[in-house]
Amino acid sequence: MQRRDFLKASLAASAVALGSSASAGVTGQPVDSRKVSKIAFPEKRPLITYSDRPPLLETPRDSFTKAITSNDEFFVRWHMPEIPTHIDPDTYKININGLVNKELHISLNELKTAFEQVEVTSVLQCGGNSRSAFNPVAGGIQWGSGAMGCAKWKGVRLSDILNRAGLKKDAVWIGFNGLDNAAYYETPTFIREMRIDELDDHVIVAYEMNGEDLPYLNGYPVRLVIPGHYSDSWVKMLSNITVTNEYKSLFFMDVAYRIPDNDCECETPENKFKTTKPITTMNVKSVIGYPTNNTVVYHNSHVVVRGVAFDDGHGIKDVVISTDGGKTWKEAILDKDAGRYAFRAFRFAFKPTAYGKVSIMAKAINRLGAEQPLAQDIKWNHGGYKYNGIDVVTIEVV
Amino acid sequence: MMKKIIILTILSISALFAQVNEAVEVPYISYEIKMGKGFDAVNANCLMCHSFGYIINQGPQSKDFWHKKVVKMIVHFKAPISKEDVEITTNYLFEHYGNGALK
Repeated sequence: MQRRDFLKASLAASAVALGSSASAGVTGQPVDSRKVSKIAFPEKRPLITYSDRPPLLETPRDSFTKAITSNDEFFVRWHMPEIPTHIDPDTYKININGLVNKELHISLNELKTAFEQVEVTSVLQCGGNSRSAFNPVAGGIQWGSGAMGCAKWKGVRLSDILNRAGLKKDAVWIGFNGLDNAAYYETPTFIREMRIDELDDHVIVAYEMNGEDLPYLNGYPVRLVIPGHYSDSWVKMLSNITVTNEYKSLFFMDVAYRIPDNDCECETPENKFKTTKPITTMNVKSVIGYPTNNTVVYHNSHVVVRGVAFDDGHGIKDVVISTDGGKTWKEAILDKDAGRYAFRAFRFAFKPTAYGKVSIMAKAINRLGAEQPLAQDIKWNHGGYKYNGIDVVTIEVV
Repeated sequence: MMKKIIILTILSISALFAQVNEAVEVPYISYEIKMGKGFDAVNANCLMCHSFGYIINQGPQSKDFWHKKVVKMIVHFKAPISKEDVEITTNYLFEHYGNGALK
């Protein structure tokens, strides 16, 4: 997103730093007051819980001090309520069919032994992450900032699998389907389609996450990993890959996860933009993991602000921090680079000298020079997708 | 309906996280949903596919929004909701989870 007026806007940033008193039609900060529930889901520590069926779990903000999100706190988002509760890893198969020379039925053992094994550290973020920042309230689950995480994924290149099957000349689309099902037989299944030319060598069929089997709720035993892209096409419990020459009309492709197809990717509730496009790749974003809102610290004490920044794979160049409402910005230290698709952890030493409430703002800038806009400059879209406003946490200095 | 038992079987099996070799049970959460006229229709039509969490976590919305959501469930998700229940559920959702605006 280009923000030509950024400098001008940042001079007036103190208004946004004061908090979420968003007036009608102005984007604010995402909701940050939700607590983790007392219920731990399988292989998860208690997380912010929006729904048990399908399971929707959000990672709390304080996790985002680390470049890797641990498996037990990684967010969860399913679309269908009927998720198999039993998977036999010895008989599980990934089927490759359609316009291929040879249909394949790949077992987990084959996947792990008969192909080159590759790893990629990549952010996984829901397109609706931070949706609760939009005003008026955009349709969908009102996520805070934690419908995202970063893991080290291990698996096999999708291209290697497709090459083994052999694509026919007229192959254009690839449909991915997982084992989750709707309650009604007639409900369309959650198939995702991508054009073959959208799929580069970074796309993998992953069976391992941070050195462990994928957690059940993150798609055990295998899921698609599409670095740089929002998570809507990272199909979980991947069971079927079908190659076709024509696009199949599907709800989750044609209606969900779409934004206005105009330059600002924006519209108003009264005047929705007629044509839409898929959300595809992620914009530049950062989230502060420490301190969190309402943290109390002594004045003249030593606070280390920590957080994570990422984009769609161009890589993070800088993260800058402001503690004076956006008047001045200072560079944070970037930690080790774990690859262009990964969280880039940052830290910033801050010694609060004044008493009272202090807002800390973080802005990431990527290698193309794209930077996060102020929340108030983010225009509305009906699905509340792609929020990437400058993150603000307000602490109290005593 | 749909009594699910909270059993975290897999956490207790082994240190290696036996994954889904044994049946996994996702916990059941009893979401606090507001009672009122039309609740029976919501209970009968919505819970088949999703928890009440899906409703209460949409944020306050207009009557038009809720109507479109109900229609989406029929058109796109093929939920067998009767014409009568479309109106009843829409009114319930708007009354309890509405923002006061018709559009």
